[in-house]
Amino acid sequence: MLKPLPTSVLVRYAILAYWTLFWLFNLIDKVVGGAHFLWVGRDRFAQFQKYFDSVGLDSPHVANAALAFAGALEAFAFVCFAAALGAEWKGHHASARRWSFFGTLLTLGTFTFFSIGDHWFGDRFELLEHTLFWFISLASWLIFIRMKPAASPAQKTPSPSTPSRAPQMRFGMTGAIAAVLVAVTATAIFRNNTSDFPLRSAAVSAEPVGDHLYKVAFPFLGGSTVFENTLAEFKAAHPKEAIQHIYTVPNPLRLKKADALVFYIITEDKP
Amino acid sequence: MTERALLRSAILIFWTFFWGLSVVDKVIPDVQFLWVGKDFFALFIKFFASLGLKDPLFATFALAGVSGLEAVNFALYLTALLSLRKDDETLTDTWFFRAILSSVALFSLFSIADQVFGDRFQLLEHGLFWLVLIASWMAFKHTPPAEIGSVSWSPTSAGRRVLISGGVLTALTAASIWNFSEATFAQASEPVAGEEVVEGVYKFDFPFLADKRVWETTVNTFMADHPELKVRYIYTGPSELNTKKKTHLLLYVFTEARQNQRGI
Repeated sequence: MLKPLPTSVLVRYAILAYWTLFWLFNLIDKVVGGAHFLWVGRDRFAQFQKYFDSVGLDSPHVANAALAFAGALEAFAFVCFAAALGAEWKGHHASARRWSFFGTLLTLGTFTFFSIGDHWFGDRFELLEHTLFWFISLASWLIFIRMKPAASPAQKTPSPSTPSRAPQMRFGMTGAIAAVLVAVTATAIFRNNTSDFPLRSAAVSAEPVGDHLYKVAFPFLGGSTVFENTLAEFKAAHPKEAIQHIYTVPNPLRLKKADALVFYIITEDKP
Repeated sequence: MTERALLRSAILIFWTFFWGLSVVDKVIPDVQFLWVGKDFFALFIKFFASLGLKDPLFATFALAGVSGLEAVNFALYLTALLSLRKDDETLTDTWFFRAILSSVALFSLFSIADQVFGDRFQLLEHGLFWLVLIASWMAFKHTPPAEIGSVSWSPTSAGRRVLISGGVLTALTAASIWNFSEATFAQASEPVAGEEVVEGVYKFDFPFLADKRVWETTVNTFMADHPELKVRYIYTGPSELNTKKKTHLLLYVFTEARQNQRGI
């Protein structure tokens, strides 16, 4: 039977794995660039270009240089955390601490760099986001160094020869409850998929609510395809009317989370 | 160098820049060349007007008071940073604590104002900053002691591997960024091509780089390319129509056939 790892060791692995993956995917996002099949990511070039353009620096090279600098910080942060993870795996805890420290310093530096940009470009939401990540990085390193690493084989305490059956029973009960809940949830989701997925493309009927005034209430799954199909159906159903205006109901007029997109079509008689 | 000194420097540098740039943002009004920042004056004017205090003096006094406190915060963090550079730990702790206390007090004031003005999102934002400040103080105090966390900068084989891998990844990322920029930069000025999705209705899927100048070029180009059509109406697709994160902006142009004025 496999011996369970101490919680502190698992937390150390979790911290290193999280930051390694965090920076790896940030790096991939920069290398891939743009939205592709199986990858959307974030168009950082467009974001940086618009930021610098807003302060009067519209040359793409300025945005490229800033993005490349951020990319360098992220690349080295990734390599440091990957080195720390590798060292931890091999049991070289001093080395893991050293590389995770360098990775944390680079992470703090990256978020400090970003937060300077947020002040400069007036993006207060990103300032909050970057400050939170800055702090999470700092806190996770302090937690990491306070977690005891895995003990060497000589220090390990022998496991009891006759393990109690109580924990196994609890495992069994938890597993059974989880399995029932997974089955119920999965069934509900698949049933929902069968009934609702066609709403992703099906046209929505326009309901007349006044003279030359029609209401269209979108399903939550509705997107541009539904919008276009709805317009096509509306035009076919009302050949004598021309669309004069479409009024989108603003968020404050919607019923909080119960309403998806609602818009009104205002028409006039064709000459 | 020790882990303690480096981590404490990182904390102080972050907050010194934070408050220093907050002061700069108040000193530079509105949008200027090389600075955008946030228009706090407009924000304060609107907040006070919503209370019925429409005289700009109220907003001006409030903003001047806030800016003064931010300037004090900046000075306190700067003093703490300079004390750290002089290796005076007691003095650094004292000034950093004063800076934290002053910053926490300012965010408490902001939070009270957010409740008065009913801005719950800003209340969350200021509450989180408040928490991060307190936690920064805890982290500052609990950095590992100097004697157990010395940082060695001497080159090792692992260090060389990290440097080489980081350098290669940086070069790869930079090359990819420049390629992507060259391939897409034209989208910042080129018109977007329209697609007729319903009879007489054209869809324009704007790229992320597009701004108001692209909109103008697009509409003008469309009208030049379709002299037989008259633009009746332009509908900006709300965010619900976008495929999350993938679409920047959808625009629908409703057209009708132009009537022949001469009756030919």
